[in-house]
Amino acid sequence: MVIEEASEATSTGGKGIDVLFYPSSVAVIGATPKPGHVGYVIMSNLLSKFKGKVILVNPRYDSINGVKCYKSITEVNDEVDLAVVAVPAPVVPQVTADAVKKGVKALIIISGGFSEVGEEGRKLEDEVRAIVKNTPVRVLGPNCIGVYNADNGFDTFFLPEDRMGRPPNGPIALISQSGAVAAAILDWASRRRLGIGLAVNYGNKLDVNESELLEYLANNRNVKVITIYMEGLKYPGEGLRFLETARKVTQMKPVIVYKAGRTKASAGAVASHTAALAGDYEIYRGAFRQAGLIEANSVREMFDLAKALATQPLPRGRRVLVLTDSGGMGIQAVDTLSTLGLEVPELPETIQSMLRKFLPPLAIVRNPVDVTGSATDEYYKIVLDSILPTSYVDMALIVALMQIPGLTPNLVNYIIDAKRYGKPMVVVSFGGSAMMEKFNEALENNGIPVYATPDRGARALWALVEYSMIKKMLREEVE
Amino acid sequence: MVHDIVAKALSEGRFKLLDYEAYELLEAYGIPTPGYRVASNYEEAIKAANEVGYPVAIKVISPDIMHKTDVGGVILNVNSDDEVKRACEEMNSSIKRLAPYARVSGFLIQHMVQGGLEVIVGGLRDRIFGTVILFGIGGILTELYKDTSMRIAPITEDDALSMIKETKAYQLMIGYRGMPRRDIYSLVDVIVKFSRLMIENPQISEADLNPVIMLENGKGSYAVDARFIIKPT
Repeated sequence: MVIEEASEATSTGGKGIDVLFYPSSVAVIGATPKPGHVGYVIMSNLLSKFKGKVILVNPRYDSINGVKCYKSITEVNDEVDLAVVAVPAPVVPQVTADAVKKGVKALIIISGGFSEVGEEGRKLEDEVRAIVKNTPVRVLGPNCIGVYNADNGFDTFFLPEDRMGRPPNGPIALISQSGAVAAAILDWASRRRLGIGLAVNYGNKLDVNESELLEYLANNRNVKVITIYMEGLKYPGEGLRFLETARKVTQMKPVIVYKAGRTKASAGAVASHTAALAGDYEIYRGAFRQAGLIEANSVREMFDLAKALATQPLPRGRRVLVLTDSGGMGIQAVDTLSTLGLEVPELPETIQSMLRKFLPPLAIVRNPVDVTGSATDEYYKIVLDSILPTSYVDMALIVALMQIPGLTPNLVNYIIDAKRYGKPMVVVSFGGSAMMEKFNEALENNGIPVYATPDRGARALWALVEYSMIKKMLREEVE
Repeated sequence: MVHDIVAKALSEGRFKLLDYEAYELLEAYGIPTPGYRVASNYEEAIKAANEVGYPVAIKVISPDIMHKTDVGGVILNVNSDDEVKRACEEMNSSIKRLAPYARVSGFLIQHMVQGGLEVIVGGLRDRIFGTVILFGIGGILTELYKDTSMRIAPITEDDALSMIKETKAYQLMIGYRGMPRRDIYSLVDVIVKFSRLMIENPQISEADLNPVIMLENGKGSYAVDARFIIKPT
């Protein structure tokens, strides 16, 4: 009975969400010529980057920096798809009513001062809810940072570009409960050229909630991996809806979640921070497992895993080839892999004796295969070509410490060439030289994720195995 | 779909199911319990013990006693007719002394399942997620090790198996250091059925089957003791 209710609810979910990410015309209500103000930053960002029409609204101005400004959105003759609202909370009900009257399809209410601040704010929030009720108009927020879309330049993150870098377009989407965390993640991702093409923060979720966003992103063809930063669900019964939605979505594409507010102490901090009541972490953890969400332990790990899931095929088993030019790095990789339940099987004697013919006498050929500090690019090629296409391994962790003299940037081509075997590969590359930077960049540009340490690479492979389990390509069984 | 037993207990203003009601409810959902009988005096108790088979546990039946062990209302490992008689007498006098107000309506005589692995299966209601099912290692170690896993009901067989595998207790089940392999799929069955019981009876606010005793592979698992806390919805 509970299942039916939940799936009925989700079946209507996601309607009218698309316009939040892909509007063709946007009104900025609260546009202002005063630098530093939220309305100013949003206006400037949209005017300079958005590949659509931007309309400015503020009763105090006839024009701002040479662009016409309307007194009210109702005065605009052309169609307006979406209104971004950045005015003081008490004015929000009025401008919402105007926007509904104008016929917008959605609003993003950036303004704070609603249920997160107490009873007065809650009343304002109810007022806004009542205005959009029984209309097809969808609302994101209030008290949110809104949407970032690298594809069309639609960006309501009210932080100037010199403070918050914008990541390049790419297959990763981010749903964040915290606006500040979302902004920090995008800034961080932009420096690492990590392709977070879409990001959204939903604030007080007066209307659109995380479950609907999740369902929408599942159906967005540009998105390959969804990441979620979550502090806690808020309303009774929301958990089941989230669980049911996530269960469907994770069969379509991988979803990685990082839940903050795990301990009792920080759970308290979260509650006072966003007015969300962080739930008991163990229950969340169970629900995540059940829904097929892959759980990360930090923001960084979330994107380590996302990078692999966005680029690599899924493994058919748990067996890893560890190929390394450093024994120590190989051992570290094996440590983490076995802790995570992955296997590093010894290669059969036939393969070992063949490898011995081509590799120097000091090389170790059991697995990890250690081509040693005297390795050349060709050694890597020989090992990859002779082991990856066999049925003895399901994926590869390749450690390439570029400090050794025999390795050249050409190694990139050999690794990329091994993609044809259809097995997941991650590369561990650690150091600081310019050559290494180039090496890493060339790999990542060609869809091979690179990690600075063996444990991070190992964990990325674990995520691929997890997702194979979730997709039921591997089945839950008693050992 | 609320079971009659739950409805009846609520109509009598009780907050907890009696032992035999709990066992009946479990049986109605196909969750195995050790054989038991209700007896009103020691003669009936002896007869009952012979029917369910020795050794038996004897538990007092009283709507007024919350913690049976505190008033001497539970006697374990009773092995013969004589011992049954003595246990009944002992229990009567102990309760008269420690809980003079309590109404005693009889004794529950239950076969004792021997030599299994004790685990706990529980259920609770969460404001956000609804019905939560818990699994963990049983006995006094439960709280010390916090070796538990949780899922949201209703749960599937795969969910149940993955929640079992998530715990360290799983290592004990698959034969840790020469320990016998336990009947894991019978535990999966218990968890799935218990999840259904919780979903269909929303008046149960909390419940635990503690312990569930897992026997060797092929011999099943039994809910040996069960506590159901009820309240009107």
